[in-house]
Amino acid sequence: MESKMQRRTLMRTAAALPLVSLLRPATARAEVKEIRMIEAGGKSGESIEKGYGDPFTAKTGIKLVRESPAPLGKLRAMVESGKITATLFELGSGTMVHAKSLGLIEKLDWAAINPNPMFPEARNEYGFGYQYYSTGMAWQKGTKPLRSWADFFNTKDFPGKRAIPDYVGSAVPFALLADGVPVDKLFPLDIDRALKKLLSIRKDISVVWKAGAQAPQLLNDGEVQYAIAWSGRIVEEPKLVFNFNGAMADLAFICMIKGSPKEEQAAAAKLYHEMSVAKNQARAAEVVAYTGPSPDLDALLPKDKLFMYPTAKVNKDVQWVQNAEYWAEHGEEGNKKWETFKLSL
Amino acid sequence: MAKPIAERRQGVGFITPLLVLMLAAFNLPILYMLTLGFWSKEGGFTFEHYAQLLDTPIYLRVLANTMRVSLVATLVNVAIGYPLAYWMRGLSPRAQFIAVSLVIVPFWISILVRTYAWIVVLGNNGMVNRLLLWSGMVDTPVSFLYNELGVMIGMANVLLPFLVLPLFAAMLRIDDRLMQAAASMGAPNHTIFLKVFLPLTLPALAAGTLLVFILCLGFYVTPAILGGGKVTMISNLLDILINQIPRWEQASAVSTLLLIVTLAIFAGYRALDRKVGT
Amino acid sequence: MTDIRLEAISKHYGAVRAADSVDLAVAQGEFVTILGPSGSGKTTLLSLIAGLSQPSAGRILIGGRDVTASPPQQRNVGLVFQSYALFPHMSVFDNVAFPLRVRNTTADVVGDRVMAALELVQLHGMAQRRPAQLSGGQQQRVALARAFVFEPDILLLDEPLGALDRKLREELQVELKQLQRRLGVTTILVTHDQEEALSLSDRVMVLDGGQVQQIAAPQEAYLRPANRFVADFLGIANFIALPDGREAVVRPERIRLEASGGRDAIVAEAVYLGQIIRYHLTAGEDKFVAAAPFVGRPHAIGDHVSLTWDAADVWPVA
Repeated sequence: MESKMQRRTLMRTAAALPLVSLLRPATARAEVKEIRMIEAGGKSGESIEKGYGDPFTAKTGIKLVRESPAPLGKLRAMVESGKITATLFELGSGTMVHAKSLGLIEKLDWAAINPNPMFPEARNEYGFGYQYYSTGMAWQKGTKPLRSWADFFNTKDFPGKRAIPDYVGSAVPFALLADGVPVDKLFPLDIDRALKKLLSIRKDISVVWKAGAQAPQLLNDGEVQYAIAWSGRIVEEPKLVFNFNGAMADLAFICMIKGSPKEEQAAAAKLYHEMSVAKNQARAAEVVAYTGPSPDLDALLPKDKLFMYPTAKVNKDVQWVQNAEYWAEHGEEGNKKWETFKLSL
Repeated sequence: MAKPIAERRQGVGFITPLLVLMLAAFNLPILYMLTLGFWSKEGGFTFEHYAQLLDTPIYLRVLANTMRVSLVATLVNVAIGYPLAYWMRGLSPRAQFIAVSLVIVPFWISILVRTYAWIVVLGNNGMVNRLLLWSGMVDTPVSFLYNELGVMIGMANVLLPFLVLPLFAAMLRIDDRLMQAAASMGAPNHTIFLKVFLPLTLPALAAGTLLVFILCLGFYVTPAILGGGKVTMISNLLDILINQIPRWEQASAVSTLLLIVTLAIFAGYRALDRKVGT
Repeated sequence: MTDIRLEAISKHYGAVRAADSVDLAVAQGEFVTILGPSGSGKTTLLSLIAGLSQPSAGRILIGGRDVTASPPQQRNVGLVFQSYALFPHMSVFDNVAFPLRVRNTTADVVGDRVMAALELVQLHGMAQRRPAQLSGGQQQRVALARAFVFEPDILLLDEPLGALDRKLREELQVELKQLQRRLGVTTILVTHDQEEALSLSDRVMVLDGGQVQQIAAPQEAYLRPANRFVADFLGIANFIALPDGREAVVRPERIRLEASGGRDAIVAEAVYLGQIIRYHLTAGEDKFVAAAPFVGRPHAIGDHVSLTWDAADVWPVA
């Protein structure tokens, strides 16, 4: 499915190229009819459309066209080739810092966006942190509950197979927490120590997952008993439990592609404003259990579902926040160590 | 047989557009990719990416791992595919048609769907394990998946048609009377197989095996899912280098190395083929 | 060198009777040809003798031994197919050496016997070639050498010359006959070519619809056919009605074209065949074929002639 989508994107891109370059001078001052966003896809993409795209289109008449997936390589290809086919690009927190250093994204004009109140970490010079998500431990109801990361790594008292993400930044910090490193001393990470800790439960690591959907599937099928998973994939599964305690909160950003047309960037500012509106964020959270950056959001969310959301007060207080700067700097080195580690599994 | 030169030249004229298209659509991007590995950030020629490649053991270890997994998967394919094709040769034409259809059908199903289907069949709660547990043959589920065994099963399933179909076609071309003649001359059945049948299928077997091996080298989805993410192939590494990091220069160096190794294997096959052929 | 006996051999494929209670006795060293149109069951019979398929009923004895249930490996039979069935991946030498090597013959003996066999078929200079580098006639000689090099009890030849052109075929027929006589091996040849059958064999067995029509020496079968089918299949037959109502056959070369005193006829066609002329004649409703030596002035189309024959040349077939 992924490859089909990519192929379609490629074809569309290829077909659009000559037209875009021919028409650009003529349309430069014309009205913007649509803006394009490249995002992660799936339910998250749907939530962008329902929560922010629809009210944006209703107010401005400008359509929001989505396209997925959004790997950093695609952004690099677009900027370096000069064939900019979109205005907005979704990036993870660490990837955004990396993209900034590669010169792939624009500074945001926060004055033009004029946002409603939002958490400070979401208001980045280079991106709008639109979606909080948590990475933490999950299991099937009826399994012996874990209370801490030490429990996750204690396979004697908590027997069962484990699944961990195939993303170094979403796996190694937990190993250090389990090994006794306090949260405020996590960064800079001792990656070697973390991997050693992970190797200590090597026999019980059954799956290293790449796609977010794998974790709930593995838990539901009883392939593994405990998993490190993304909260939104777990909390709405009736048979599964997600523990926010000690989980890692992270933010996904919508960034502006370097060199995209100015008038489209101006139109995007209006979309950004819609993304800061608490009511819109509540509507997006109905589609997928990830939440936006408004401090006023809790009041608009259904009371019985508050436990699901990363930014709900009860959950936000027991989590810690990912260090994007660290990973932007150490991502490549971390990846090499991670791949080496996987060969020893 | 030799055609007049003018006529041959005319033939070249007809295929020139195709050649140009192939060159532009396939070879230029590959050439671009290859040169990328020699560009430094400042825009000059450099060997630094290759130096890094050799300095980073993980790249070479993943490449070696890819070779090993591909080799074993190919051997598994041959071990299953050859007897299967041999068995199909002996069927009635009607049964052959059905058997060929069954071999081809997986071609029409997405590789992703097929890969996930194996989880339903071979997972801890899968059909096979439930049967084994129910029959009392095992006490705990057998780990078919999330290890190299799972990768082998998945890859064999995906690649089997690539081996079976050419092999079956080659076997069909072998005249039954060759084996009958050999039998009448007193050759025991195993001698007939080893001295007559097998040698006649070797070219197709070698070509099919090489094809399967080279396809194995590029596998991505199956090892990622059925290997539980623990069986790292070179494509997974390239995905990270191209999409996540993104370090295209390094990816280019790794790809170039893979291309060289693949071409070397192909050259070895050609040399062997020529030796056997004369 | 051994004799062969087929006793009431039948082979059924569903409702089709490819062989229907066939009896045949071939003496040691004898050359017998199984002759019949395509679909008459002759190849079926050959593969039953070779052991490539099993009869539905009956017994097969080779040298007095019941081999009905024996696999081909235990029958010691040399087999030659119309398609040669040479092993394409082996040299001529290795092809001919194959039956010796499976018998664990020492390399020296293999070399000597292969070269001797190739000499017999006049191919000793071609030992290192691949079959694909040989002409059709040469390939068939290799197949022959391979079939007799291990001194089989019986040689079975399935239309061995069928794929060759006429001149080469006639040459090889002579060679084959000489070779068979020299080796003294009991031989069964299958063919649909009646000339080949008549020229090569000690006896012919004419087969139709899986049933034996006649087993006799070639001249016997030609001059005294057992029935209308044999008469018609072997050469050209003129059928005439006898006064008692029976049907009889007269061969073309026994019919004389005279001025009077016989049956009136008109020359419809005259075909020059070198030494002889073949006349197609019409006599009222009936048609005749006559063959006359090409001497003197031949009859022309439209000539009125009178057909005569000796009573001794008339053979009743029903």
